[in-house]
Amino acid sequence: MISLNHFLVVGAVLFGLGLVGFLTRRNLITLFLCAELMLQGVVLNFLAFGRMHGSLNGQVFGLFIITVAACEAGLGLALFLMLYRRGRSLDSGIWQTLREQGVPSAVDSEPLPIVVAEVHPVLTVAGRKPGVGTPAEGASRV
Amino acid sequence: MPTELSNPKLQLAFALVLGAVGAFLLLPKPKARSIAAGTFLLVAALAVLGVFVTESFGRPIGELVPDILFWLFSTGAVGFGALLVTQRNPARGAIAFAFVILSSCGLFLLLAAPFLMAATIIIYAGAIIVTFLFVLMLSNVKGPSNENDRSREPLLGSLAGFAFIGLILFALLQAKPVVASTDESAEVEFALPASLLTKEDRVALREVRADLDAALATDDVKLVSEKAKSAHDKLAETIGGDGVTGQRKTVLERLRPLIGDPKKPSTHDPRLLAFTQQTLQLQKTNDDVEEKYLMASPGKADKASLQKLRDVVTVYSGNGQLPARNVGNIGLLLYSEHLLAVEMAGTLLLVATIGAVAIAGRKKGDKS
Repeated sequence: MISLNHFLVVGAVLFGLGLVGFLTRRNLITLFLCAELMLQGVVLNFLAFGRMHGSLNGQVFGLFIITVAACEAGLGLALFLMLYRRGRSLDSGIWQTLREQGVPSAVDSEPLPIVVAEVHPVLTVAGRKPGVGTPAEGASRV
Repeated sequence: MPTELSNPKLQLAFALVLGAVGAFLLLPKPKARSIAAGTFLLVAALAVLGVFVTESFGRPIGELVPDILFWLFSTGAVGFGALLVTQRNPARGAIAFAFVILSSCGLFLLLAAPFLMAATIIIYAGAIIVTFLFVLMLSNVKGPSNENDRSREPLLGSLAGFAFIGLILFALLQAKPVVASTDESAEVEFALPASLLTKEDRVALREVRADLDAALATDDVKLVSEKAKSAHDKLAETIGGDGVTGQRKTVLERLRPLIGDPKKPSTHDPRLLAFTQQTLQLQKTNDDVEEKYLMASPGKADKASLQKLRDVVTVYSGNGQLPARNVGNIGLLLYSEHLLAVEMAGTLLLVATIGAVAIAGRKKGDKS
């Protein structure tokens, strides 16, 4: 028998995973997705309690949460666009210049691994180089 | 050894430690990232969590199809959620998020919310496509980069998140009925829908609510007084005025085998506590009505206490199953009880739109 607790567990785990991602990840777009993940967990809780009490108010509340999530998405993506224009990067770490006075800056000590870019095969040069000074010849061929 | 393993608190702690270590190993970082070990640990944590849930909150018996669907969708939601969090590439993260949305929409459907399921799919389909657009537009990095290959404090972050999950699950475990029984009534308190009160109780409470609605709808003082009196008497009969009488006695009879000694009911039994609490609150509100409304002269009667009683009765009676007309009833509720909230949500959307345009809509030459 699926009880209320089962759904609450799923909601809690979704919220916790979103929290881990929101705290640790540095890509702004991933942060946004993690916040949405937390909201999904919350909506699940509201629906489960609404079903338990036999009341539609939980679903109405879920609807409002989706509304707020839509507002958050619009504003958040607009902010990302502006931050990208200023910093040319989606890294949230470059905005640590906004930190409080006296707080030491976080320095990335470990170097990133160097990945050698794949070398794609290139076709060998073949054929004749098109002539430059004879437009009439080219035009007559068309 | 088997008794130790079946201790739910140990299972919970084990799952959380496995999950935290797995998330730490899987989170992107330049060194010490182990995809194989991290995946293995996270899957193991999910399995242990599944065992914990079945052992503590009831194993799937009875209806097979909803159980299978529940496990399928919840595993999907949690698994793809973990993939989203630990994924290096934001575009793949968006795909994982799409699957999280689909899975949780399946759970919405199991919770009898078809309108919300459809709305969520439609809205989040747009949101995910826009996210893709942003990834394509902004994230044109080749090779490793700071934003995708580094995490901020991965160990502390995963510890904090999993400690939070542990806190909630532990609270759920504590709130669970203490009496472990194979009887189906052991799970009755957290059943979906709730069935703490008997069917007769619910019917009686709904009649009370109908009376109160009639009293609230009219301005005729005599009729209001009549209906309020009728509701008051019915409620008093339902919850039992003095001692254990009426329907309350029936509920107590039903709970008795779980409580133990009928002469000395254990005050620690959460079902009994909840039931007594509900009865007391109903009683208190009903007395309030008697004092403020029935005793006062009819001319000065205020309807606030009647309204309050109606709200309390509504909460406790419930509607049993949710109505099948989901969309129509949500619309009715939105535009009757939550009209102000609808207006505020609309205003919020408008303000957000204006804000987004104001923030993002700069001209190209404007560098300030």
